[in-house]
Amino acid sequence: MTRTRRFAAVTAIMAAVTCTGSGCTVIPLSGPIAVSDVGAGDPLGRPFQRMIAIGPQREWGPEETIKGMQAAMAAYPDDPSVLQQYLTPEAKATWNASGPVTVIDDAFEIVAPPPGDGTETVQTVTLKGSSVASIKEDDSYVPTAGAWERPYELVKAPGGGYRVNALPPGLLLTASDVDRAYRPTNLYYLNRSTQDRLVVDRVRLRMKTTERFAQTVLERLLQQPTAALQGAVSTSFPPGTAIESVRSGEERVVIDLASPLDPLDLSAEDALRAQIRYTLNNNDVAKGRIIEIQVNGEPYAVDRPNSDEHWLDDSGDHAYYVSRGAVRHLGKDRPEGVVPGAAGEPREGYSDFAMSLSKDGPPLVAALTTTGISVASLTQDGRWQEVIHGESLTPPTWHRDGSLWTYDRDNAVLLRYDPAHGQAPERVSAPEVEKLDVTRLRIARDGVRVAVTTGKNTVQIGALTGGGTMLGNLQLLTTIEMGSEITDVAWGDDEHLLVLVQTKAGQILNEINVGDGETTGVPLKDRLNSVAALDDRILAEAETEKGTKLLELNQDRQTWATKLETDAGAPLFPLG
Amino acid sequence: MPPTNQRRSRRTFRQILGGARRRVRRAAGKARSTWRRSLQLQVVTSTMVISVIVVVVLGTFLFGQISKSVVDSTQESSNSEAFADRLQIADALAPETDDQDKTTDSGKQGSANPLDEVMDTITGSGEGGTEKRYDMLVLNRRLPGASRGSGTVVPGDVPANLQLGLQRNIRDQQYDEPLATTGKIRFAEEGQSRLTYVIGGVVHVPTSGESYEVYHFFPLDEEEQLLVNVRLAIVVVGLGLVLLLAAIAYLVTRQVVTPVRLARQAAERLAAGKLDERLKVRGEDDLARLANSFNEMAANLALKIHQLEELSQVQRQFVSDVSHELRTPLTTVRMAADLLYDAREDFDPMASRSAELMQAQLERFESMLADLLEISRYDAGAATLDLDPVDVRDLVLRAIADSEALAERHSTRFELRLPNEPCMAEVDNRRVERILRNLLFNAIEHGEGRDVVVTVGGDRDAVAVAVRDHGIGLKPGEDTLVFDRFWRADPSRARTIGGTGLGLAISREDAALHGGWLQAWGQPGEGSQFRLTLPRTAGADLKGSPLPLVPPEIEMRRTWRTSMTPVLLPAVADGGGYDED
Repeated sequence: MTRTRRFAAVTAIMAAVTCTGSGCTVIPLSGPIAVSDVGAGDPLGRPFQRMIAIGPQREWGPEETIKGMQAAMAAYPDDPSVLQQYLTPEAKATWNASGPVTVIDDAFEIVAPPPGDGTETVQTVTLKGSSVASIKEDDSYVPTAGAWERPYELVKAPGGGYRVNALPPGLLLTASDVDRAYRPTNLYYLNRSTQDRLVVDRVRLRMKTTERFAQTVLERLLQQPTAALQGAVSTSFPPGTAIESVRSGEERVVIDLASPLDPLDLSAEDALRAQIRYTLNNNDVAKGRIIEIQVNGEPYAVDRPNSDEHWLDDSGDHAYYVSRGAVRHLGKDRPEGVVPGAAGEPREGYSDFAMSLSKDGPPLVAALTTTGISVASLTQDGRWQEVIHGESLTPPTWHRDGSLWTYDRDNAVLLRYDPAHGQAPERVSAPEVEKLDVTRLRIARDGVRVAVTTGKNTVQIGALTGGGTMLGNLQLLTTIEMGSEITDVAWGDDEHLLVLVQTKAGQILNEINVGDGETTGVPLKDRLNSVAALDDRILAEAETEKGTKLLELNQDRQTWATKLETDAGAPLFPLG
Repeated sequence: MPPTNQRRSRRTFRQILGGARRRVRRAAGKARSTWRRSLQLQVVTSTMVISVIVVVVLGTFLFGQISKSVVDSTQESSNSEAFADRLQIADALAPETDDQDKTTDSGKQGSANPLDEVMDTITGSGEGGTEKRYDMLVLNRRLPGASRGSGTVVPGDVPANLQLGLQRNIRDQQYDEPLATTGKIRFAEEGQSRLTYVIGGVVHVPTSGESYEVYHFFPLDEEEQLLVNVRLAIVVVGLGLVLLLAAIAYLVTRQVVTPVRLARQAAERLAAGKLDERLKVRGEDDLARLANSFNEMAANLALKIHQLEELSQVQRQFVSDVSHELRTPLTTVRMAADLLYDAREDFDPMASRSAELMQAQLERFESMLADLLEISRYDAGAATLDLDPVDVRDLVLRAIADSEALAERHSTRFELRLPNEPCMAEVDNRRVERILRNLLFNAIEHGEGRDVVVTVGGDRDAVAVAVRDHGIGLKPGEDTLVFDRFWRADPSRARTIGGTGLGLAISREDAALHGGWLQAWGQPGEGSQFRLTLPRTAGADLKGSPLPLVPPEIEMRRTWRTSMTPVLLPAVADGGGYDED
């Protein structure tokens, strides 16, 4: 065989092997190979649809014109020019979009005046609907109810069609408009008194076409909280801070702040990271991603996902219950015996137990007696000790700073007792509460919000302002119809309050978002006496023929499971 | 009128332009010459040109195919997505056209706007929705609050022709004919143009009679970027391929050209007289055989040349010997002839005339013999120089004085153009005088009685003497033949001054012995000019001559004609410059 022939044979064999190995595919077969998990970058935004406003048409009558104008109001922040086309020059001169946004139900109607002879140039039509909510200028969403109507003056336009002559200031949106353009958003601020816990503030933010949702949220976070939390929370962002840019790289989200913050001063770094992390993640943005914070272009902090959970930590979900006056541990699946000390001994006359959250030592349990409120430590030598005297006190509630709070209905004063100092209870200023018939007081686990039931059928939400020295910012959360009665309230997580209502028709258990009043009903089967909740866990005492039993709401949030059949009730979680 | 500054500046500009043109022409000439002379360059250039054409054609075809398939597949998927969206919208807006099951359980959806619901689904605005790669617009210009959009697009972003086409479709009730356009759209919100594929379709709701214009905006940024990268890759690969092919062509031709070049160099050396030059023979291929043949040829040539040299040597020796041997009897004959000549008056007229003729022919024979001896000395390499620094002007004057008699006989006058300063050079007086005398005699003989111009010039390195006559001139090619031994322009013409036919040959040898040049120029009807250029220091290399070979008036006339009728006059290839060698 000559050299040339040998070379040709080798080449042919190599070509055949290559062709067979690759299967003659266009894309070569390979693998398994290690692949990088790096994504293509977080979009940092959320898709949304917008109303596209159309200017007034010549062939439109008064009803279409008002509907078109309302649609133009829905699109006003995106394109203010279309709404202007609906207005007469006078109306343009006087109208402005400032003020609260009125939200009405989609099914509104336009009531036109009786038909005239066709020569009248001015017509007054009335828009009738039912009020749904109001979005305040601080972006808080306040549900409202009741009928709503507003007259509009229409002028015939020279070329045909109508123009609106007089228009009250502010925008009028339908519920669909709000669903389309606004997103419920949780902002996280710092508990002003303890500075160790984030407090959620719920707002409705309008989606902007010009910027991504992450930027919209962060820019709102730099502003003041809503009126409900004014004075009660603080922020780690120094005044004058602005968002320079929010970028999404392959591995991380980079937030550049224009701020007077000193990049070398890391005292606020932890809180700042937590505020940004929770505000973004809990609004489904930048979830599971590294967040890099820059100050004036200089690296400041890097926050890794799940690095630190203590900012929303509620210290476990250890539950307790009361059996014949004795406080007992409740394990996940079965009872785990009595608590140590006097609190674990059966005793009559103690009710409305409340468990404290103690970071260093054993927790304290408080209970209401006929003469006041007693406290016992959950230690072997713990003894009941009456710390607040009074015959008409509301059930005790613990603050996360370790203090015990109650309202003395006889003297109309809010009392605070601090076991660490052992001094007499001190009065806490609560000017808004003093005039009310306070029946219940529950401090949320964030240490800021306070649920106050007044009378039998109203729940108001206040906040501990001034570094915890005053109860203020009271806002109505819910009112039930007369004849019904609120039998218990309990904080679920920081933004949800469970309200147990006894109506004539039966019992209702509602989970209400204290930020925007969004209410979710929890189905009930048994008659409940009390509820306790911690995040997703809801425990309840149900009344049976044999006494009381302990129930727990299943994960599907539709059915209840019996935890203890007999002699078990008054479930307790620390705080809340 | 004195020249103005403007004219001067214009002239300067023209000069600059002329200079640039000359430089370009010179560079082009050099490049052309290099191209003509290098086979390797020709092969590499041809390969490059052909491969560039192939790569461009293939690249264009390839890019066209890739571009078409990328854009086609994108448009196809976009069309199907847009179609699916329009179907969804049509379905949502006309629930009564659904089957019975759907209508019965759609009670809970009754309150919400169906357009909102379907847009939530399409745009991914609902819970857990993801951002779509496209934006869309749903427009109903007749119904208030029935238009929706996603992303940043606004009605003003819709291309006008697409909108008009869609509205025409609505007017013509052609609802199933979506239109599409690809173009750069300047989005109002973004402020910059983006390549976008826009599909417009109509969703018609028969029950309400409403028609919705549905526009989908598919960005083609990624496809554009992909195609830009592909184009870049094709360009880079193509460029690399061309360079690679050029390199291959270079290497391959080098394998062939290098031996050929070596053969050429060997041939040149062989031609220069190095007869022992041989090529190295490597291998057995064609080039090796060429080298073998070359070496054989060189060997044969060397042998023949050697033989010829020997023969030539024998001939030269023979001439030299004959010349020497002839001198002695010639001297005797001469003495006898002198006696006869002196006594010619005593002879009868016939005998007297014969004595005179014999005397004249003997003189000529003697000078011929002297010239032959001189030439023999040169051939034998025995000629030596007797150098003295002299003023060349003096030599010229002396030579003219020697020629005066002949000039008078021919009614020829000399016109002398001598420099004012002395023209000193280290020369052999006798030989240079002989050269000048030869040139002057020639000029007189061929000058036909017209003036003979003698010009002397000098520069730092050389001196030159030009002798110009206005006789019949030289035909093309004769300017080198004149220096051949015994060459005669017109063999029928008689020699009037008794020339031996060796004068110019000896003169050239004299000039070469000084390291100088003796050159001739001539043109029929224009006369001729002979220029002798000598280095100021004997043996120094000459780089140029202080005087032009072509007489200035001829050069000026030629330049003038060239500039007036550049096409009609053929180029004259004789030496026009000062520095030819």
